Amino acid sequence: MSAVLEIQGTGIRFGGLVALDDVNVNVPEWEIVGLIGPNGAGKTTLFNCIMGAYTANTGKIIYRGRDISLLPTHRRTALGIGRTFQNIGLIRGLTVVENFMVAQHSRIGYGAWSALLGVPRSFAEERRLKANAMEVLDFIGMAHLADSQLEGLPYGTLKLIEVGTVLATDPDVLLLDEPSSGMGPDEAHEFGERLLKLRKTLNLTVLMIEHHVPLVVNVCDYVYVLNFGKILTEGKPQAVRNHPEVVAAYLGGEVTTDEEEQTPQISPEEETAGVTA
Amino acid sequence: MTATAAETISAPAISRAPAKWRPSAQGWVFRAAVLVLIFGGIIWRTATIEQFWADRFALAAIYAVIGLSLNVVLGYVGQVSLGHHGFVGIAAFVSAYYVTEKAGCVPNECSLGAFGTGILFAVISGGVAALLLGLIALRIRGLYLALITLSYGFMAERSIFEIPFLTRGGAGMPAPRPDGFTTDRAYAFLCYFFLALVIFVDWRLLRSKVGRAVLSVKHSEPVAASYGINVTAYKTLAFVLSGLFAGLGGGLLAFHTQNVVSNDFNFAIALLWVLMVVVGGLGNRTGVVIGSAFFALFPFLLELIHPLEEAVIESGRAFGQVTIVVGAALAILTVIQFPGGIAEQLSPITRWLRGQKFALHPEGHGGKHKGHAHKKGALLAKLGLHKGDQHAVDGAPSEQQASANPPPEESAAAVADHGTPLRADNGAAGGGETAATHGAAAVAADDGTRGGDGSESAGDGDEGAAGDADDIDAVIRRRFPPVPSRTPPATGATDDEEA
Repeated sequence: MSAVLEIQGTGIRFGGLVALDDVNVNVPEWEIVGLIGPNGAGKTTLFNCIMGAYTANTGKIIYRGRDISLLPTHRRTALGIGRTFQNIGLIRGLTVVENFMVAQHSRIGYGAWSALLGVPRSFAEERRLKANAMEVLDFIGMAHLADSQLEGLPYGTLKLIEVGTVLATDPDVLLLDEPSSGMGPDEAHEFGERLLKLRKTLNLTVLMIEHHVPLVVNVCDYVYVLNFGKILTEGKPQAVRNHPEVVAAYLGGEVTTDEEEQTPQISPEEETAGVTA
Repeated sequence: MTATAAETISAPAISRAPAKWRPSAQGWVFRAAVLVLIFGGIIWRTATIEQFWADRFALAAIYAVIGLSLNVVLGYVGQVSLGHHGFVGIAAFVSAYYVTEKAGCVPNECSLGAFGTGILFAVISGGVAALLLGLIALRIRGLYLALITLSYGFMAERSIFEIPFLTRGGAGMPAPRPDGFTTDRAYAFLCYFFLALVIFVDWRLLRSKVGRAVLSVKHSEPVAASYGINVTAYKTLAFVLSGLFAGLGGGLLAFHTQNVVSNDFNFAIALLWVLMVVVGGLGNRTGVVIGSAFFALFPFLLELIHPLEEAVIESGRAFGQVTIVVGAALAILTVIQFPGGIAEQLSPITRWLRGQKFALHPEGHGGKHKGHAHKKGALLAKLGLHKGDQHAVDGAPSEQQASANPPPEESAAAVADHGTPLRADNGAAGGGETAATHGAAAVAADDGTRGGDGSESAGDGDEGAAGDADDIDAVIRRRFPPVPSRTPPATGATDDEEA
């Protein structure tokens, strides 16, 4: 299948620090591609390059055959790349439903100046936006929170709302930055299920940074491992998981203690599911 | 699966927002009466009061325009402008220069057209001046931007305001009022009209994509950009809009004093304008208008209180100087004790006027205030719960129980609809499909899965998750039918199993 998103030889340096070096990632249509690697490996930097928050020094970002390396972020969003953030990327000053309305920004059918002058069309369009926002809110089961302020909402709810707002931008490709952070194992598992459903019904392609290994194994079709700004290895999740270099780089060293805490979270059922795959 | 889908078609959407409280017809009439009383009172007072007080009311309206201009930068963009006297002053001189030098106006002989054109030039010059600053603001912000605006104001004071042909030196440039508006009272109404115009644009700003975009940029530029907002364009637009308002304020100020003197536009006045916006309530239209009017009228309010007036006269200070001191004190009080300014103090009233119940704290507001938004939503959902779903709230295990024994009328309906009994794993979703209980079910499932607190073992948690996922799946298909042009779902299913 043709690739929706191709990262070709992307490299970026900040002063003397090489954050990314010749990174090649291929995200085929309708796949969930995982991106793993220890802290500071450059995963989020890669996301920033894809979205245009940073301009890479070398390489190209190809989206559906088109080089988007030099487009500003909002144009990339309009093309259909949606992104979530590691620390919840929502606008705190707005209510939940307003966040969903602002997320539809690139699909609004009136100009800024006609809005200021109160052209009738802008009112009708606002009603449509609100209806759309409520529909997506309904869809993620959060309609009862529409008029709430964000502050005070539980973390897990905010995470879900964030994914919802990104869906409201009407994306083709979803970039998820650690979607299961702050979730318990059960929640993470449920999130994986939801993601698979979402992919099936909305025809989404997903590139996902994730630390929660069982989730990666369950959900991802293909995994890239990033270490010190380079692709260490790539392959099917199960193969990558047992790759000695990955174990050394990602699970070894100081991370071991973290991993030990995580290991019991893998329920026997999930383990067997992984083996049979 | 098909059963669930078919069922959903007849069922209402999940988790509808609880109906908002709305006042009765009587309540609306009462609110409208209060509004009419307030605005009618202002108009009636302006129409009947002595001319010199009408003149002061006009000044209050002009300050409100300037306050709203600053509010765009301070409240919406979140940057400090200490050089607004630059924009306002330039605009005032431009409009005065136009009507006197170009249109040939003299007192009591000035066409409305010349006035209108003068105001238009004022607005444009304010916008252009702010555009320059806006382009700078794209690169720097915070303290350094404040410093730049400060220097900008001083630069305007020392250079542009001293161009002899524009300002006629210290004597000032005359700006005669247009025919029909030469009296203070008539001019006050003209100022009200322009204030109403600015309030309208400001209202449209906040209630449209522009306001949401600007507020998003203020809170987080990366997030705003990833929502598809052109951060650069909206920041510039906000500055230009602020400049347009400031230009209008400057033009009106010129015709208010009828003789524009460069000394009128100094740093002290720019500081006063910042103070009045802060005290009024950053980002709140009503608060800013009230705060601005208060500071414009403050010196004259002192006159009303005789002992205070005498004290000021004895001290040998001008009334304006007292305003600055009081303004600073109020600003400190605002920042420390009442961050929302006057607007926050008035918010119970303004909320009530907008059609909410009279309450000291806003509805559904999380965080600081007691009404915890999410808990409240869940609680409301619980209150509207169907008997059969009551268990579901308590967690996954009881959800299973509910699915095993669905309430009689529901299972009957399900069988009648499809002719086949529900599958066990569809039970949770099926139970939730019926009418009003649906919202509750979604909330319940959500509650049950968060933190997995309700589930005794991992297996139970999964069961709940599966039910929930099925539920969502059905809704998804109803709302977003699969796009045929792309990969058919059949391939997806195999993909799923591979993973």
